[in-house]
Formats: sequence, structure tokens, C-alpha cells
Amino acid sequence: MHDLIQRFLSLPWGQPTDWLFLIPALLMLLAAAGAVMLRNLIHCALCLTLSFIALGILFIALGAEFVGFVQLLVYVGAVTMLILFAILLTPASEVAASNNPFRSFSFSKTLNAVGGGAVALLVLGGLLAAIFFSPHAREAVPPAQAAVAPAKAIGENLLTHTLLPLQGTAILLTAALIGAALLAKEEKPL
Amino acid sequence: MNFLENLPLAAKKLILDAVEWVCNWLCAKTGIKLPDWAMPALLTLVSILIVIVTIIAVFMVMFALMSVFERKILARMQNRYGPNRVGFFRWRLCGLFQPVADGIKMLTKEDIVPRGADKIVHFLAPIAMVAPALVLPVILPYGRGMVPIELSTGILFFFAMGAGTELAVFMAGWSSNNKYSVIGAMRAVAQMISYELPLVMSAVVVALVAGTLSPNGIVEAQSGYVFDVHGIGSLLNVPKWFVLTPWGFVACLLFYIGALAESNRSPFDLPEGESELVAGHLTEYSGFKYAIFFMAEYVGMFAINGLLVTLFLGGYQSPLPFLEWIPSWCWFFGKLACVAFSMVWVRATLPRFRIDQMMQFAWKFMLPMSFAALIAAATWYYAGRGPAAWGISLLIVGVPYLVLGRLCFTRRHTADNRRYLYSE
Repeated sequence: MHDLIQRFLSLPWGQPTDWLFLIPALLMLLAAAGAVMLRNLIHCALCLTLSFIALGILFIALGAEFVGFVQLLVYVGAVTMLILFAILLTPASEVAASNNPFRSFSFSKTLNAVGGGAVALLVLGGLLAAIFFSPHAREAVPPAQAAVAPAKAIGENLLTHTLLPLQGTAILLTAALIGAALLAKEEKPL
Repeated sequence: MNFLENLPLAAKKLILDAVEWVCNWLCAKTGIKLPDWAMPALLTLVSILIVIVTIIAVFMVMFALMSVFERKILARMQNRYGPNRVGFFRWRLCGLFQPVADGIKMLTKEDIVPRGADKIVHFLAPIAMVAPALVLPVILPYGRGMVPIELSTGILFFFAMGAGTELAVFMAGWSSNNKYSVIGAMRAVAQMISYELPLVMSAVVVALVAGTLSPNGIVEAQSGYVFDVHGIGSLLNVPKWFVLTPWGFVACLLFYIGALAESNRSPFDLPEGESELVAGHLTEYSGFKYAIFFMAEYVGMFAINGLLVTLFLGGYQSPLPFLEWIPSWCWFFGKLACVAFSMVWVRATLPRFRIDQMMQFAWKFMLPMSFAALIAAATWYYAGRGPAAWGISLLIVGVPYLVLGRLCFTRRHTADNRRYLYSE
């Protein structure tokens, strides 16, 4: 019995931390599948939230604390609420799902599937290309402990090297905010 | 007195040593040779377990005490006695055992799920509510060297976890399939999103001056006294707490109001406004699930009060040099109790906001004021922290306060031509 335990323990398991990433990764994949396949739109949104949370945990497990917490703060705190509000405020969302006239045509169904698949492949290809062609991809992968970027370094980088994209994003968001306020404003009868 | 100061850490070390000794003894006895990662991993697990058990125990006891003291304090402020019956066999003990009776009542109540409810989401909502609330207290420094989990981005962690509460409230309201629940949840979400901005901004102010996001670093930045005098003069000393600077005072008040709103307490209890919405998102919950919501709310309140103490009230530091013999964790919990008491006081004093007033207050007054506090803090930081810096930063927060007060709270908004027919 002792021998058996000893042999089991001496298998090349690696560190236990090498295996921990499987929990959030599997959770994320399952939740993402649920977000695509479930019938009820609110359930889909909640599944999407779960996958956001799992992604945040994955970031934290990889040593990117700051990115992980921002992921939780922005996506779980803000984006999900936005999605849920949008679903609730769209009156015909459930009707559209059941009475969609295009649902009956198999041609448009396949077209939808092909189009959606093409868009997904394009996005995936773009992201992969961005990763492979970036100069950082050829650098040696640092050990997990060294990859912990302190919040200070991220902040300094944001306000020096990447200031222009940051300001561009800020202008874009301001424009979106003003547009939303204009749309939401009631038009007073003259 | 050093003994009391070190007591919690010494107890933790004792338990860890005992576990290590027992494990080594077992291995030696049975002859199993553990791989070399096993012992550190086991000790890490045990120390995590100690932290979890301690936090849950401490916060549950605080929740129980708070639930009875809040009722008693409210009662005294309203000229009543409050709960004073439940005791231990023959001894009444001023009704101190009320939470035990409440707990038994909650546990034995029937758990009702409406037929039209979304069963899974209805079941998951209390869990989604209580899990982040119980994770929140781990980053707070309870005493010198007593941070359960030392995170360099602790403040960010706190707000990231707090973001989960909104989702839980929405889940509870939507899954109940009841219009009061949905209206309450919508109000709660709108309120939390609106007040999260000034809350986070006033924490950013402190992070800016302290130069760190770690709660322990922020407490350390507030150590020391303004006048470095000794002897009898030290009685008149002023601690370097952030609440005692102009920008810090403003940010502290904003944070306090934001904390009231985030924990859905009066005067921000419109999501549960019992006279209009039954109980908001809690309407369709009963028994233990209701108790869990209640508990999450109180633990979240304690956690955010603890963050307030950490950010502005000097954390575990003592206010005067000759009081430093009191253990640091006593100071932390003492300050926490004071803030919690003030929240009860506010609840007993102020009436509920109207929803438009609540929204206006957040977006038109608190958010600009938090920006003003940010600018004032930056000025204070770069103007040398002296008396001149004090004056300038006072000006920077004072002028917007007066201007905003004039602009936001005119007669037009208070609707004084409204007549309350049945109260005259």
C-alpha cells in the first residue's frame, strides 16, 4: 500500500499550480457554450458573465493581477449590466426569437451560419496574426513570477507610451456618451 | 502590552507549527516520504483555511451583534426600548440573544419559491450575493502586519469584487417574476452604478496621494503626527490621517455617502422601500435565502466601512502617541464600530430619498465634488503638504462646493409647492 502511494506520488505530475488553470479554463469554455446555446436571452447573458469571471480568474492565475481585477470590474460590473439592460429594454426580443420569418427559410439559415462562421474566423485570424506578428512574441517567455506587472508600471506606460490611443479611446467614448444622451433626450413638441 | 498586540499572529503561527509537527510525526511513523512541494502546499492551505475561518467567524459575530444593537440603538433614538426579552434561560442579558432567536426562526421557516420564478437563477442569486461579500474583507489590514491577503492592488480587488453585488441583485429581482422585485432590482442597480463612480473616485484620491493601491501601504502613509512634540505637548498632537486634510475630508464624506448607497441603507433604501415596493428584490425570498441576503448586506457594509477606516481614518493607527499601548487591531475595530454606529444614527435621522433626488445628488453633486477633491489632492501633493498647500486645496474644494450647492439645490428641485394632503 505504501509502495503504491509512493509510486503514485512520484509520477511526473509537476507542480499542483500547473493544473489549477484547468478549473477556470473549463468553466469559461462551458459558460461560453451556454451563452451561445441557451434559449433564454437572460440566461445567455448570465452565462456570458460567468465566462467573463472565469477569464478574470485565468488572468489572475497567470500573474496579471491588475488586468484580472480590471476585467472583473469592467466586464462583470459594467458591460454585463449594459447587456442585461439592453435585453430588458428591447421589447421584441422574445417575439423575434419565435416569430422570426427568416427562421423558416433554410437558405437564409445556412447563409447566417456561413456568415457568422466567416466573421468568427476573421476575428480569430486577426487576433492570431496580431499575436504572431507582434515583436513580443519572439521574446523568451518570462517565468510566471516575473510576469507580474505592478499597477504602477501599467499606469506609467498608459500615460507615456500609449497616451495617444488612450486619448483616442476617451474621445470615442465621450462621443458615444453624447450620442446616447441625444438619443435618449425627449423631443419637446414645439 | 506587546503580548496583546501580537496575540492573533502568534495564535496563527502556533496552529501552523502544530500542523507541521503532526504531519512530520505521521510521515515518520508510517514511513511515507512526501514530495518536497507537499509540505509548503499543505501549510499554505492551512493558513488560507485559518484566514477563511477567522474572517467568517469574526464577521458573523459582528453581524449578529450589529443586528441586535442596531435595533436597540434605533429604538432608543425613537424613544422605545427595542428588543430586550430574549436571553439565556432565566437571564435576559438586555436581549443580547435576539440574533440566536432570529437565526433559528430564519432557519426553520419554509423556503418558498414562486411557481413562475426562474428556479435556477432564483436559487443562485443569494449565492452570487454572499460570495463577493465574504471575499471583500480579506484585503483589509486589521492590525500591524495583520493583512489576511497582502495584495499590491487591494483597493482595485475590493471594487472588482463589489461589482458582483449588482449582478446578484439583478438576478434576484428578475428571477422572482414579480414586478415589485424587478422595479426594486432596477432601482438598486441604477443606484449602485451611479454611486460607484464617486465611491471609486474618492478612493482614487487617496491612492494618488499615498502612491499605492495596497491598503497596508495607504495605512502606513498615514502614520506619524503633524507636530513632532513630546511630553505633555503630545496631548495636542494631530495624527496624519487623510480625513484631517481638506481634500481628505471631502473625499471621506463622499466615500461615506457612497458606502451608504452601495449597502442600500437609509436614506438610500429606495430599492427596498417597504412602503412602495414591499421589499424590492427581496420580496419573493423567505427563510434562509432571505437571511443570506441580509447577511451579505451587513458583511458588505462592514467591509466597506473597514475600507473607509483604512483609506481615511488611519486604519489601525492610534490617534495620539500616548494611546499607542492599545493593540492596533483594537483601534481598527473600534473605528469600525464608530462608523457603523454613525450609519445607524443616519438611518434613525434621515428620511428616504426620492428617486430623482437620489440620481441628481449622485451625478450633479457627488461626481463633480469627487473631481474637485482629486484636483485638490494633486495640488496638495505638489504644493508641499504645508499650510499653503492646505489653504489652496481648501479653496479648490470649497468653491465647487458652494457653486454646486447653489446650482443643484434650488427651489425648483425641492418642489416646495407640493402639498402633502394627509400629513397636514
